[in-house]
Amino acid sequence: RLYDSVEPRVMDEDMLKLAVGEQGPQEEAGQLARQEGILFKDVVSLRLDFQNILRIDSLWQFENLRKLQLDNNIIEKIEGLEHLVHLVWLDLSFNNIEAIEGLDTLVNLEDLSLFNNRIAKIDSLDALVKLQVLSLGNNQIGNMMNIIYLRRFKDLRSLSLSGNPIAESEDYKMFIYAYLPDLVYLDFRRIDDHMKELAESKHQYSIDELKHRESLIQARLDDELARQVELEKHKAAFVEHLNGSFLFDSMYTEDVEGNKLAYLPGVGELLQGYKDKFVIICLNIFEYGLKQQEKRKLELDTFNECVKEAIQENQEQGKHRIAEFEEKHLLSLNAIREESDLTNIEVRIVEYGEDITELFNVLMTLEMQLVEQLEETINMFERNIMDLVALFIENVQSLMAQCRDLENHHHEKLLEISINTLEKILKGELDEDLPDDLRALFVDKDTIVNAVGASHDIHLLKIDNREDELVTRTNSWCTHLVDMIHKDEIMRNRRRVKEINQYIDHIQNELDNLECGDVID
Amino acid sequence: MEVLKEKVEEEEEAEREEAAERGEKMPRPLETRREEPPMTQEMLRDLEKKLSEIEIVILEQPLIVTKDSIDISKLPLSYRSNTLKEEHLLQVADNFARQYSHLCPDRVPLFLHPLNECQVPKFVSTTIRPTLMPYPELYNWDNCAQFVSDFLSMVPLPDPLQPPSHLYSSTTVLKHQKGNCFDFSTLLCSMLVGAGYDAYCVNGYGSQDLCQMDLTRDVCPLTMKHKEVVQQEEKVPPKKYAIKPPRDLSSRFEQEQKMKKQQEIKGEKEKQWKEEEQRLLELEKAKIDPLHGLRVHAWVLVLSGKREVPESFFIDPLTARSYSTQDDHFLGIESLWNHKNYWVNMQDCWNGCKDLVFDLGDPVRWEYLLLGTDKPQLAVAEEEDDGMNDEDMENLGKEDEDKSFDMPPSWVEQIEISPEAFETRCPNGKKVIQYKRAKLEKWAPYLNSDGLVCRLTTYEDLECTETLEIKEWYQHREDMLELKHINKNTGLNIDYFKPGHPQALRVHSYKSMQPEMDRVMEFYETARVDGLIKREETPKTMTEYYQGRSDFLSYRHVDFGDRVKKLALNSAESNPRPMVKITERFSRNPAKPADEDVAERVFLIPEERIQLRYHCRDDHITASKREFLRRTEVDSKGNKIIMTPDMCISFEVEPMEHTKKLLYQYEAMMKLKNEEKLSKHQAWESELEVDPWECGQVGGGMGGGCLNCALPYFPIQVLEILKLREEEEEAHTLTISIYDTKRNEKSKEYREAMERVMHEEHLRQVEAQLDYLAPFLAQLPPGEKLTRWQAARVKDECLSDFKQRLIDKANLIQARFEKETQELQKKQQWYQENQVTLTPEDEDWYLSYCSQAMFRIRILEQRLNRHKELAPLKYLALEEKLHKDPRLVDFLKVYV
Repeated sequence: RLYDSVEPRVMDEDMLKLAVGEQGPQEEAGQLARQEGILFKDVVSLRLDFQNILRIDSLWQFENLRKLQLDNNIIEKIEGLEHLVHLVWLDLSFNNIEAIEGLDTLVNLEDLSLFNNRIAKIDSLDALVKLQVLSLGNNQIGNMMNIIYLRRFKDLRSLSLSGNPIAESEDYKMFIYAYLPDLVYLDFRRIDDHMKELAESKHQYSIDELKHRESLIQARLDDELARQVELEKHKAAFVEHLNGSFLFDSMYTEDVEGNKLAYLPGVGELLQGYKDKFVIICLNIFEYGLKQQEKRKLELDTFNECVKEAIQENQEQGKHRIAEFEEKHLLSLNAIREESDLTNIEVRIVEYGEDITELFNVLMTLEMQLVEQLEETINMFERNIMDLVALFIENVQSLMAQCRDLENHHHEKLLEISINTLEKILKGELDEDLPDDLRALFVDKDTIVNAVGASHDIHLLKIDNREDELVTRTNSWCTHLVDMIHKDEIMRNRRRVKEINQYIDHIQNELDNLECGDVID
Repeated sequence: MEVLKEKVEEEEEAEREEAAERGEKMPRPLETRREEPPMTQEMLRDLEKKLSEIEIVILEQPLIVTKDSIDISKLPLSYRSNTLKEEHLLQVADNFARQYSHLCPDRVPLFLHPLNECQVPKFVSTTIRPTLMPYPELYNWDNCAQFVSDFLSMVPLPDPLQPPSHLYSSTTVLKHQKGNCFDFSTLLCSMLVGAGYDAYCVNGYGSQDLCQMDLTRDVCPLTMKHKEVVQQEEKVPPKKYAIKPPRDLSSRFEQEQKMKKQQEIKGEKEKQWKEEEQRLLELEKAKIDPLHGLRVHAWVLVLSGKREVPESFFIDPLTARSYSTQDDHFLGIESLWNHKNYWVNMQDCWNGCKDLVFDLGDPVRWEYLLLGTDKPQLAVAEEEDDGMNDEDMENLGKEDEDKSFDMPPSWVEQIEISPEAFETRCPNGKKVIQYKRAKLEKWAPYLNSDGLVCRLTTYEDLECTETLEIKEWYQHREDMLELKHINKNTGLNIDYFKPGHPQALRVHSYKSMQPEMDRVMEFYETARVDGLIKREETPKTMTEYYQGRSDFLSYRHVDFGDRVKKLALNSAESNPRPMVKITERFSRNPAKPADEDVAERVFLIPEERIQLRYHCRDDHITASKREFLRRTEVDSKGNKIIMTPDMCISFEVEPMEHTKKLLYQYEAMMKLKNEEKLSKHQAWESELEVDPWECGQVGGGMGGGCLNCALPYFPIQVLEILKLREEEEEAHTLTISIYDTKRNEKSKEYREAMERVMHEEHLRQVEAQLDYLAPFLAQLPPGEKLTRWQAARVKDECLSDFKQRLIDKANLIQARFEKETQELQKKQQWYQENQVTLTPEDEDWYLSYCSQAMFRIRILEQRLNRHKELAPLKYLALEEKLHKDPRLVDFLKVYV
C-alpha cells in the first residue's frame, strides 16, 4: 500500500502555516500578508491533499473556514472538525475512513465527498440539513435500505454511489430514482425524466406505504410541537395545568388515606361533586390567567413601541445634527488646509474646535433629555405592571381560597361520614363490606380522625404549593422584567455616550493631526 | 275639418277663460327684463328700435346658408310638404298663438312654426328627431354637447332681437356644418333625447357673450388648475407611554408679539393684493351691452330625473358648456319644447332665470300646447274641482278628446354622422376658440402630419399679444409624445410621453436640444433594465436616480471639469469632459451588516481619493467612514510602497480586528479601484446616451476601447436619447391602429385583394351559369310565349346541338391523334432509312422527338378515352337540366 512506504505525517502548526501561506493572497497582497501574517481564523479555504495525514488535528483555529480539502491522505476517522461550523464544502475522498461520524456540528455543509473510503453504512448525517451533493462512490455500502435514510435530505440533488456493492444490483438505479424523487444527478449523470416516471410506477406501492408512514410520524411530531407551544403559552400566563382536573388529581396521588376513604359509602358521590366544583374553580383561574396575560402583553407592547419611537426620534435628531456638522466640517477642514495665513489658520482652528465642543454638547443634551424622558416612562410602566401583577395575584389568591373552602367543606363532610361509619361499625350495624385496609382505619375515633386529617393536610398542602408557585413565579417575572428594562436602558445610554465620545474623539483627532501637520510645515 | 275647427274654437274659448283667471294671478308677465322700473313701455320700445337699428349696421354677416345652396329637389317628400296631421298641428298651433297673443298682448309672438329649408312651415317640436348615435363617445351629455359645438360653426342670428324665420332640419345643418343657435340646440336636443336625457330646446334671452359665442371673458377650462385636495392627517391619539416633550422654556409673550407683527404684515400684503385684483377686474369687465336682455338665444335644458341627472341644468350648445339654471348669462325664457310638446313660460323673468321653477306639469307656470304629455299634472286642477264642477266636466270631456291628438312624428330624416365626419369633427378639421388670455386650437386627428390635435396658447395680457406659454397635445405619435409644454418666459420646454417610448422616457424638460445644457429626463419606472428613473443635467453636472437595482445603487452624481484642450491631431476624436467627482449612493442592502454596507461613495478623481460612508446601524447615530488615498509612491530604497496605514483613514463605530489589517484595506482599495473604473465608465456611457455628438464620434473614433477608463468598449445598445428625439421630431410618424380600417394601408390592401378575389369568383360563377338556351330562344320571335311545340323544338335543337358539339370534339381529338401517329410513323421511316448516315446530334434529336411524340400521343389517347366516357354522361346531364329548366318545364312535363 501507498501509505506503508511513506511516513504518516502529523497535522501541526508548521504544516498549516505553510499551506495557508501557499494558498493565501499572491503578489502585492501576498507581500502585505507576509508582512502582517495571516490569522488562521481569517482563512476561508484550505487545501491539505497528498500530505499523508493520518489524523485530523489542530484545525480548531479555523473558525471561518468554508472549504476544506483533505483528500488523498490516510485518515481513518473523521474527527477534530467540531469547530468548523461554517464549513460548506468538505472533501475527505481517498482516505481510509470506515464510518461516518463527527459531522454533527457542521450544519452548513452542502457538499460532502467521501469517495473511495471503506464506509459500509450511511448514517450520522442528520445534522447536515443543507446537504446538496453527496459523493459516496467506491465504498462498501451493501444494503439498499441505506437509500431510504437519504430521503430526509430535502435539498439533496446529486448522489454518487457507483463502485459500491449495491450498485451492482439490477434494481439499483430504479430504486434510487423511485425513492429519491428530488435527485437530479446520480453518479454524475442527469436523471432522465422518463426513467424517473418508470421507476416511480414500478415502486409505487412500497413508496406509498413509506410515504404514509412518514406522514404519520410527521403528524405526530407536529402534534407534539403544537402541544408544547400551547403549554409554553400557559406557562407564560402562570396557569399551566389548571385547565382541567390536574391539580385535583395531583392532590389524591400521594394521599393514601384519602384514596382508601373514597370507598366509604356516600363518599363516592361526595367526591364527584367536590371534584366538579374544584375543576370549575381551576378553570376560572386558568381563564383569568390567560386574560391577564393578554393584558400584560398589551401593556408591554405599548410600552416597547413607545420607547422605540422615542429612541428613533431621538436618533433621527442626532443623525441630523451630525449630518449638519459633517457638511460644515468638510468645508472648514478644506478651508484650513488651503489657508495660508498662519493667524487665520489659528482662528479657524479655534472656531472649529468650538464647533466640535458644541456638537458634543448638543448630542449629550439630546441623550440626557432622552434618558430623563425614558426614566419617567419606565417608572410609569413599572407602576402599572406592578399593579397589574398585584391584582392578578390577589384575584388568584381569592380563587384559591375558594378551593380551600371547598376542601374544608369536603373535609367536614368526610369526617362526618367517617364518624358515622365508625359508630355504625362499633355498633356492628354496618351492612356493606369494606376493604380490609379501610376497615383497619376504623379502630377508634382518633385513628379515623387522624387519617381524614392527614388526607386533608395533604390536599391543603398541594393547593398551597400551587398557589405559592404561581405567586412566586409571577412576582419573579415582574421583577425580572423591570430589571431588564432598567438594565437595557442603562446599557443603551452607555452605548450612546460611548458612541458620541468616540465620534467626538475622532474628529478632534483629525483636527489635532491637521494642527501637527501645519506645525511641521 | 269643420268639426275640427269647431273643436279648436271651443278650446280657444276655454283657454281664454283659463287665461283670464290666470291673468289676475299674474299681473305683469314678461315685458320688462330690465332693472329700470320707471321706464314706460313706449320709451322702452323706442329705445329698442333705435338700438336695433344701430346694431344692424354692425352686423355684417348675412346668413351664409342661403336657399340657393340647398338643393331642395333632392330632399325627401316629408321636407317639402306637410302631412294631414302636421297641418292639423299647425292649425292648433296657430290657434294657440292667437289665444296667446290675445291674452298676453305685451309678449313677443311665439316661436312655433318657422319655415324649413323648403319654405314649408314646420312645428318646432317635429323638427326634433330623437336619435341615439352609434358612437359610444356620444352617450353622455358633455361629449354630445362638445361634439355639436365642435362640429358646427356658428352663424349669428340675422336679427339678434328676434328668433329666426327659418329653422332647418338637423340633416341639412349637419351637411353644411353651419347653423345658428337654434340649429345647434335642435341638433343637441335630438341627440340628448335620443340618449335618454330629459332635454328641451329653450327659446329665451341671453347675454351678449352667450349669444355671440364670445368666450374672451371666460377663463379657458384647460388653464384652470385643479385644486389640490389637502388630505388631513388623522391625529393619532397619544399613546399611553408616549414620552413627554422637553419643557418649553421660551417666553410666551415674545411669541405672541411676534405673531402679531407677522399678522400685521400679512394683512397689509393681502390688502394690497386685493386692491390689485380689484383693479384688474375693473379692467376686464365688459362694456355695458345696450341690448342687454333683448338678445334672443336658444339653448338646451336638461331636467333632472333621467339618466341619473341629479339637478337640472342648461347647456349652451355653442360652447358646450353647462350652466346652472341660476346662471347670470341666461336672462329669460319665452318657451321651451321637446319632441313631444311645447310649453310657454308664464313666470316672471325680471330676475333672469334665477327664480324659474322647471316643473312643466304645473299649468300655472308653464302653459302647454298639447295635452297628454308625460308630465304629471299638479294637484291644482283637482283642488279647483270643488268650486266649478260643471265647467270642469266639460273641460274634462274635451281634454279626453284632445288626448287622442299627440305630436306627429318628426319630419326630419334620420340624423346620420359618418365615421369620417365624426372623426374630423370640426369643419375642415380645425377650430379656434378664443378665451380670456388664451387661444385654443383644435385639429382632427391625422390632419396634421406631426399628430398635433390641440394647441393652447396662453397670453399675458388681454389683447393676446404677449405669449406666455404654449401647450400642444399630440395623438397617434409613434414616439408616444403626448403633450409639449413650451414656456416662453423661461424658455423651458417640457415634453410628456405616454408609456411605450423606446427609451421609456416619461418627461423631458429642456431649454435646448444641445447637449451639456440644463435638462431633466424622467423615465417610466420598471420600464428600463438599468432602473433609471430620472436624470438631471446641468452644464457641469449630471445626476441620475435609480430604483430597484440589484446592486442597490440609487443615486449617482457626476461633476465634470473643463475640457482639456487637445492637440490638433486628436481633435477629430472625442474629447470627453474629464470627470472630477463621482458620488454614488446606495440604499440599504438587508443581506449585509450595516458596517459593511456602503451608503455613499465618492470618487475624487484628480486627487485619487476615495471616500466611503457606510450605512448607519439601527441603534446608532454615527456611521462608519473610510477614506482611501491612492498614492503609488516609491520609498527611499526604490521599492514600491504597496500600502501604508496612512493611506486609509477610517472611523469605525465599533472597531473590529480584521478591518485594521493592511491586507483587508488593500483588498478593499483594489476592489474600489475597479469599481471606480466601472462607475466612470457607466457615467461616461450615460453621458453618451445624452450626448449625441460625442457618441457619434465615439463609434468611429474610439475604435473598440474607451480611452477614458481603459475598459473594453461596451457596445452601446441604447441609442442616444437626444439623437433619437431629434430624429423622432423630424420624422414624426404616426401610428395607425390595426382597427383603423380606413388608414391602415396594409389592411386596406389586404381587404382590397380579398374583394378582388371575391369579384373574380363571382364572375366565374356567372360564367358557369351561362344560359345554354339563349341562342335557341333568340331565334324565336321575342315577347311571345312559348308554345308546346316550340318548347319541344327548342329542347331538341339544344340537345342535338350539344350532341354535335360532343361529336365534333371527339373527332377533333381523333384527328389530332391520327396526325401525330402519322407523323411519328413518317419519322420512324425516315430514321430507318437514314440510320447509317446520321450524326449523333441528329440521332439525339430524333430520340427526343420520338419520346415527345409518344407522350403527346398518349395524352391524346387518354383525352379521347375520357371524352368517350364522359360524353354520354354530359349529354344526359344536359337533358336533365333542360327538363328542369323553368322556361320549358311546363311544356315538357306532358311528355314525361
